[in-house]
Amino acid sequence: MKNLERNKRPSLFSERLLGWCCKPEYLEEILGDLAEYRDELLSKPKWKRKLFYWFHVLQFIRPWALKRLQSNQQLNQLSMFSNYLKTSVRSLKKNALFSFINMIGLAISMSVAILMILVITELNSFDDFHENSERIYRVTSNKFMFNQELDMATASFFLGNEVKKQSPGVEEVVILKSGMSADIKTNAGLLNVSGFYATESFFDVFSFKLLQGNPETVFLEPNNIVLTETTAVKLFGGANPIGKELDIQSTGGWQTRSILGKVVGVVEDPPLNSHLEFEALVSMKTYDQPATGSGWRADFRTNPNHFQNSFVYLLLNQGADLESIETSMSDIISAYNSDQEHKLSHKLQHMSTFVSSDKYQNRVGPRFSQRQLYIMIGLTLIVLLSACFNYTNLSLARALRRSKEVGVRKVTGASQFQLFAQFIIEAILLSVLAFIIGLGLFYLIKPGFLNMPNPGSSGHDMFTLGINFTKLLYLIICTIGVGLVAGFLPAWFLSKLNANTVLKDASRVKLFGGLSLRRALTVFQFVLSIGLIMSAVLVNKQYKYALGYDLGFETENIINVKVKGDYGDQLEAEFNRVSEVAETSRSSMAMGTGGAELAWALTEDKSQKAMLFWNGIDEKYLNMHDFEIIAGTGFLRALKKGESNKQIIVNEHLLQTLNLGSPEEAIGKFIWVQGYVRDRLQITGVVKNFINTSLNAGQGDEIMANKNFAFVQGMPVFTHGLIAVKFKTNDLPGFVQKLESIYNGVDNSHPFEADFYKDQIAKTYESEKNIFTLVSFLAFLAISISMLGLLGMAVFTTESRLKEISIRKVLGADSRDLTLLLSRGFLMLIGLSALIAIPLSNYVVNEKVLSSFNYRAPTGIIDWLSGFLVVLFIGTLTIAWQIRQATTRAPSTLLRNE
Amino acid sequence: MEKQHLGELEELILLLIVMLKDDAYGFAIRQAIKEQAGRVITIGAVHGTVNRLEKKGLIESSMSGATEIRGGRRKRIFTITASGKKALQASRDLKLNLWMQIPELAVGS
Repeated sequence: MKNLERNKRPSLFSERLLGWCCKPEYLEEILGDLAEYRDELLSKPKWKRKLFYWFHVLQFIRPWALKRLQSNQQLNQLSMFSNYLKTSVRSLKKNALFSFINMIGLAISMSVAILMILVITELNSFDDFHENSERIYRVTSNKFMFNQELDMATASFFLGNEVKKQSPGVEEVVILKSGMSADIKTNAGLLNVSGFYATESFFDVFSFKLLQGNPETVFLEPNNIVLTETTAVKLFGGANPIGKELDIQSTGGWQTRSILGKVVGVVEDPPLNSHLEFEALVSMKTYDQPATGSGWRADFRTNPNHFQNSFVYLLLNQGADLESIETSMSDIISAYNSDQEHKLSHKLQHMSTFVSSDKYQNRVGPRFSQRQLYIMIGLTLIVLLSACFNYTNLSLARALRRSKEVGVRKVTGASQFQLFAQFIIEAILLSVLAFIIGLGLFYLIKPGFLNMPNPGSSGHDMFTLGINFTKLLYLIICTIGVGLVAGFLPAWFLSKLNANTVLKDASRVKLFGGLSLRRALTVFQFVLSIGLIMSAVLVNKQYKYALGYDLGFETENIINVKVKGDYGDQLEAEFNRVSEVAETSRSSMAMGTGGAELAWALTEDKSQKAMLFWNGIDEKYLNMHDFEIIAGTGFLRALKKGESNKQIIVNEHLLQTLNLGSPEEAIGKFIWVQGYVRDRLQITGVVKNFINTSLNAGQGDEIMANKNFAFVQGMPVFTHGLIAVKFKTNDLPGFVQKLESIYNGVDNSHPFEADFYKDQIAKTYESEKNIFTLVSFLAFLAISISMLGLLGMAVFTTESRLKEISIRKVLGADSRDLTLLLSRGFLMLIGLSALIAIPLSNYVVNEKVLSSFNYRAPTGIIDWLSGFLVVLFIGTLTIAWQIRQATTRAPSTLLRNE
Repeated sequence: MEKQHLGELEELILLLIVMLKDDAYGFAIRQAIKEQAGRVITIGAVHGTVNRLEKKGLIESSMSGATEIRGGRRKRIFTITASGKKALQASRDLKLNLWMQIPELAVGS
C-alpha cells in the first residue's frame, strides 16, 4: 500500500506535464491508463517504448482535456494588462500630435542609446574568447623617466622568466615581442606581414585556435612561423602551407634580420575583439639570433633594464594572490633597483582592462579610452533624459484633461496601483514604438560611427555593432527603463488624484509642484541645447585655429614621402628630376605633428641639464621650410657617407634654459647631447622659437612640448626618414601619381606613403575633430528634441488658452500684445537657460575638452551667444507659428463653440 | 436528433462498452478494439471519444477499481444509458433497413 501511495504522486516528467495542463477531473484516469500502457510496452525495445509512450502522452494535449484558461487566477492580470494596453493605444491615438512629438524625440535619442549599448557590450566582451580570460594578467612597469612618471604596458623578459620560477601563483607565462615586421619574398614580389615573436607557451595562455600544427611544439625551434589563415592563403593560395619555407627580411624594432623561416602552423585570424592583432607569429628563439641595428641586445633575456619592448602575460592559478605575486616581482628586481636613481616597479593588469586603460605607454593593440567612453555615455544619457522629459512634461501638462478619466476609473473601483500601472504601460508602449523607429535610425548612423577615425584603434576595426540575443536583451531592458523614467512622474501624479475633487470641479485640481517642475525640466532641455551648440562652436573654433596657426615655419605646398629603406639619396635625386618639383629636403620626421625624439642637453661644464626634442635634418631643410635663423647659420654642406657633423642648431628656448646668453653670444659654444646622439656639439645657429610638437601637446607635457629644440645634421640609423618635396603645380593627383611611380621604381616592396604636410597637421588634431563631430551631432539631437518639446508645450498652452485669447481679442487686444503675452513665459525660460548654460559649457570646454591645448583660440561674444541665439531663433519660430494659428482665428467662431 | 447521431468509432466503442460490462474503462476499450477490430488507436483517442459519448448522454461513468499497475489510480468505468441503447438500436435499424433495400449486394456476399 505504501508503494501505491508513492506511485500516486506524479513522478515522471510526462505525468507532471499532463498534470500541469489537463483538467484535474480527467487526470486520474488518464494517468492510470498511461501507467497500464507503460506496463504493456515493457516487452518492446527501449526506444520504441519511449516513442510510443510519448506519442500517446501528447495525444492527450487536446482541447477537451486541457484546463480552461479563465479559471486561472494569474491570468486575471493578463486580461487587466491587455486592457491597459488597449486604453494606452487609444489614448496615444487620440492625442496623435503629442504621441508623435514624444515618439520622435524618444526615437532620436534611442538610436544613440542603442549605439552606446552596443559599443559598451562590445568593449566589455573584448578578449573574452580566451578560455582563461579571467586569469590572464599583464605585467606593467612604472618608472620615473623623462621628467615624468611613466606607466608602461611592457615589462622585461628577465622578469617574466623569474616570476614563473619564483611565484607559486603563476601557472604559465608567455612573453611577446613586437616589432616583427617582415618582408616575405614571394613570386609576386614582397609581402609585408607583421606580428609578434612569441615564447613556447603562447597557446597555453591564449585561446587562439590553431587550425594546423601542434600547439605544444610550434614555437620550440628557431625560425618557426605560424601564419594566420588569411596570410597563409595570401602566400600559398589553397595549398597546404605546413613545412613550406619562407625567405624573410624583418625590419621592425630598429633592427634587421634575415630569416629562412619554416611554416609550422596555421592559426585562425584573431577576432575583432582581440587586443592582440597579428598576421604571423614567430618563435622567440628566432629573436635570439643576433640582428643588425641598435634595437637588438644580446642580453635581452637577462637584463631587467629592457622593460620597454616585451609584453609579459601571466596565466595565474585559480585564486592566486595578486599581492604576493606583485611582492615577489619587486623582490626579483630589487637587485636591479639598488643602483637606480628612480626605482622601477611592476604591477599586474587584468585582461579586462587592456583596451579601456588610458595611462599606459608602449601599449599594444586597440584602445578605447575610458574618458572618451564616459563622455559619450554621459552625453547619451543626457540626450535620452531630455527626450524622457519631453514625455513627462507634455503628459503633466495634459494631466488636467485626463483627470476626469482618472476620477471615473477610481469611482468604478480602480486602485491607485492599477492606475499607476496603466499610465506606466502607456509610457512603456510609447518607448517600445520609439525603440523600433530608433532601431531604424541607428542603422542610418551606424556606418558613420564605424567610419569615424578612432586614433586609439591603431588601424584595426574594433566594433561590429551587430545585434545578437544578449544585446537585444539589454536593449529591451533599456527601452523599458526609458518608459519607466519618462512615465513615472505623470503616472504618480495622476494616480494620486482624489476622485471626489476631480469629478466635482476639475479646475480646482492642483498638481502639486507641477508647474515649477515642468519649468525645471524645460530649462534643463534648453540648457542642454544651448550648451551643446556652444561647445560645438568653441571646439570647432579651436580646431580651425590649430589648423591655421602659424607654426613658425612653412608647410604650404609640401608633400612628405616616407622612405622605407636605404635608398633615400637615390629616391631624392630621382624626385628632383621631375619638373614640378621645386625643392627637396630630408628629415627624420615631420615637425608640428605631435611626435619628436627626446634627449638630454647639458652645458659644456655639465652643470645644467634640460630635456630636449630634436630632429635630424639635411642642409636644405631649414631653408626650404623657412625657419627664421636669428643668429649664426644653418648647416652649410651635405655630409659624405659615414661622416657626422659636430654642429647643432638650437632654438631660443634652449638658450634660456641653459643660460647660454643671447643668440649671438651662444654661437660657437659647446653643449653635450645625451640621447640617441651622444656627443659634444658646437652651436652653429639659433632659430626663432616655433611649434615643434603640436598645439595640443597636453598639460602634463607643458614643461617640454614646444620648448627646447635642436637640429642635428644627418639621419639616425633607426629611421630612414622623410623626403619633403616642395612642388609648384595645380594638378595634385597627377603629381602624387608621378611621385608614386618613381617610388615604386625604387622600392617595390613597401607601399608608397606620402601626405601633404597640411593634412598631416590636420591629422594631429583629429581627436578634436571627432569631439566636434560628436558634440555637433548630439547638439543637433538635443535641439531637435527640445524644440519638439517646445512645440508640444506651445500647442498645449495656446490651445488651453484659446478662450482667453478670444475674449482678449474681443476686448480689443491686437496680435502684438497677444504674441507677447503668450511667448513671454517661453522666452524667459530660454533666457534663464542661457544664463546657466553659457558659463557652464565655457567651463567644461575650456577645462575639460580642450585642456590639452596650450594655445587657445580667442573667443568672442558671438561664440558665447551662439547657442543662445540659435535656440532663441528656432524657439521663437516654433512659438510664433503656434501663436499665429491661435490669434488669427476669428474670436466669434471660437466663442460660439465654447 | 443531431445529437443522437453516432460516429463510426463512437458506435464501435459504445458496443464494446456494453460487451466489456464492468471492465469498460479507457485502456481496456483500447485493448478490445485492438483484439476485435484489429485497429490500434491511441488512448487519447479513446478518452476523447468516451468523453464525447458521455456529453451526448449515451454513457455514464463512475470511478472505481484501483490497481497497483495503475499506480493506485482508479479507473473510470463506463456503462451504457437507455438513450445509448436507443442510439445503438437506431443505428442498427437504419443499417438493416438499408441492407434490405439492396438485395443484390446481400446476395453477392
